[in-house]
Amino acid sequence: MYKQTPAERLVTLTCCLLSRPSLGLSKNELFQAVTAYAQAGSDAAREKMFDRDKSAIREAGFILEVIGNDGFDDTDSARYRIQHSSFSWPEDFELTPQMLQLLEIAGKAWNSQMMGDAARSGIMRLRSLGLIPMSTDLAMLSPRLLAQHPAFAPLANSISMNQMARFNYRKADLSEQIREVSPKKLRQLAGEWVLLADENGQIKNFLLRRIVSSVSELPDSATVVSLAAIDQAEAELLIHVENQVAKIEIAPDTEAFWHFNPGPELIVDLNYMDEALLAEDLMEYGSDLVVLEPTSLAKRISESLLRVVELHA
Amino acid sequence: MPKQELDADELFNLALSIVGIVLRDGSMQVTELANHFDVSERAIEKAVKVIANSEDIANYETHFEVQDWLLEEGEVSFTPGRSNLTRPPVLSQRQAVALGTGLEYLSSLPGFENNTDLETLRRKLIHSVTPVQVESNFSKNTELDLLRDAIRSGVSISCEYRNQKGETSMRQIDPLRIDFLGKRHYLRGWCRQNLEVRSFRLDRMIKLTATGEAISQDALAAEISENVYGEANQQIEVQVIAKPEAAEIFWNFPTSQRPELITGEYHGTIRIGNLASLGRHITRYGGQVRVIAPKEARLAVFGFAQSALLGIQKPENED
Repeated sequence: MYKQTPAERLVTLTCCLLSRPSLGLSKNELFQAVTAYAQAGSDAAREKMFDRDKSAIREAGFILEVIGNDGFDDTDSARYRIQHSSFSWPEDFELTPQMLQLLEIAGKAWNSQMMGDAARSGIMRLRSLGLIPMSTDLAMLSPRLLAQHPAFAPLANSISMNQMARFNYRKADLSEQIREVSPKKLRQLAGEWVLLADENGQIKNFLLRRIVSSVSELPDSATVVSLAAIDQAEAELLIHVENQVAKIEIAPDTEAFWHFNPGPELIVDLNYMDEALLAEDLMEYGSDLVVLEPTSLAKRISESLLRVVELHA
Repeated sequence: MPKQELDADELFNLALSIVGIVLRDGSMQVTELANHFDVSERAIEKAVKVIANSEDIANYETHFEVQDWLLEEGEVSFTPGRSNLTRPPVLSQRQAVALGTGLEYLSSLPGFENNTDLETLRRKLIHSVTPVQVESNFSKNTELDLLRDAIRSGVSISCEYRNQKGETSMRQIDPLRIDFLGKRHYLRGWCRQNLEVRSFRLDRMIKLTATGEAISQDALAAEISENVYGEANQQIEVQVIAKPEAAEIFWNFPTSQRPELITGEYHGTIRIGNLASLGRHITRYGGQVRVIAPKEARLAVFGFAQSALLGIQKPENED
């Protein structure tokens, strides 16, 4: 007996669902129409396969509706159909060779990281819009988006789905708490990914690298925050960065000297968002530099270096 | 190299994409589709068979009429049959977030500013609001412009370069590509001194000039590895343990396998080319990353951190 592959099952299910755009099909009708379901060894196996396929179809971008049973899924009277808006590509849009190249670069920026597959499959789908040659004007540029933190994808998803999220957050002082937030935006500032989120009516910034658990999406919808409130929070962070200034003395003809390019007095002022992160950046230069101000930063670096020495003695 | 094996979801996506382009533009060669979608010819053939085998067995309806004999001759040709599927769906949420984030990132980089195509893509194609913003504070735009011009014109450049061991030398480089990598930017180019493709950090290059001399044949024939930090075959394996806040250490170096989470810490091995720069890479985490073995690697970190500590503790009346 011919056994359908999972990909064949998905295409067949999609085509069956599209064959009844208004009425939709019941689960039983689908179980009779799709070869793999009809041949399933048990009801449980069939149900499991169907559940997996519904998720795959939704993840592929189809809007799968459940009708005729007050929207409740998975009952015998429920009917399934694919919404026509699943195919609503912009009318006045035409992909050009230059755009295709930009999309390729944007997709490759993920490299093999967590969203790389999604970017590649998105480009594949966009290429179905026509046999367009790709421009090579920007071929000499190869940007790599470094967003490998496992929290990135679930948070991006929570923002897009407007859902609350929960995670464990460990502050620089090592205190750890469970945080339940309404994620609003992911930003990369000075090379660090920062989540802007509403927590109990207050907009706060969370460094992704200090999220020390997996991120779970909560069933509750995210709280509504106005764009003005987000703008204000961003502006406040900028003011915070402007007000945080460290004074650093750089040793001449060192890597730090090349990097920071200080004036003849060999002193640079650096603005920073987070003292612990600045300490990391500065410790990389070892004895090439000395922190003059603030003393808290100098003390932090000194203690951290001592810890490294003790750990490797 | 195009991907050879696709999983079920990828094959489903490819099948949807082939349906879209073939029903829009007519029959096509397998080779043409393989090039277009950047997959192997075998993957195209498998996807076409997926399309061909789609049928409603309850109503005896074939969804697509695929010309099997043409496929055997390397041509993909089919008509819709009883299917209403004529094009793929719009980008999924995940695809839109991935591409939208990538485009947002590009728009923050030098070389992509005021790009009208980029703006159009962000406005029209990425239908969901991409909640991502990337800010770039790149300060070497003049050097970058010079490098881009040199790559476009195919001429070599010269500069003073300080390598990761702290050694400074004059270099003549045939520039090939510019890699933006997080906070750092690299020139990938054929080094005429070392006769191989190397990565040069832009913030370690000074007195950059275009020589006017055409880039070498060696450079033209050279392949650029995707891995800017080094190759997975680098010789020294260093065993490290990192707290979750410093797990990025495993992303910044080639690794032989994924790190393992054991009692709240990541245990794994990174590969490095030499020990000279290990101290700085480990020390920056202030004890959140510790080297377990080999002993020489532990000593390298100890030496770097101790020297930095002594630098801080220098006497105030030093002459």
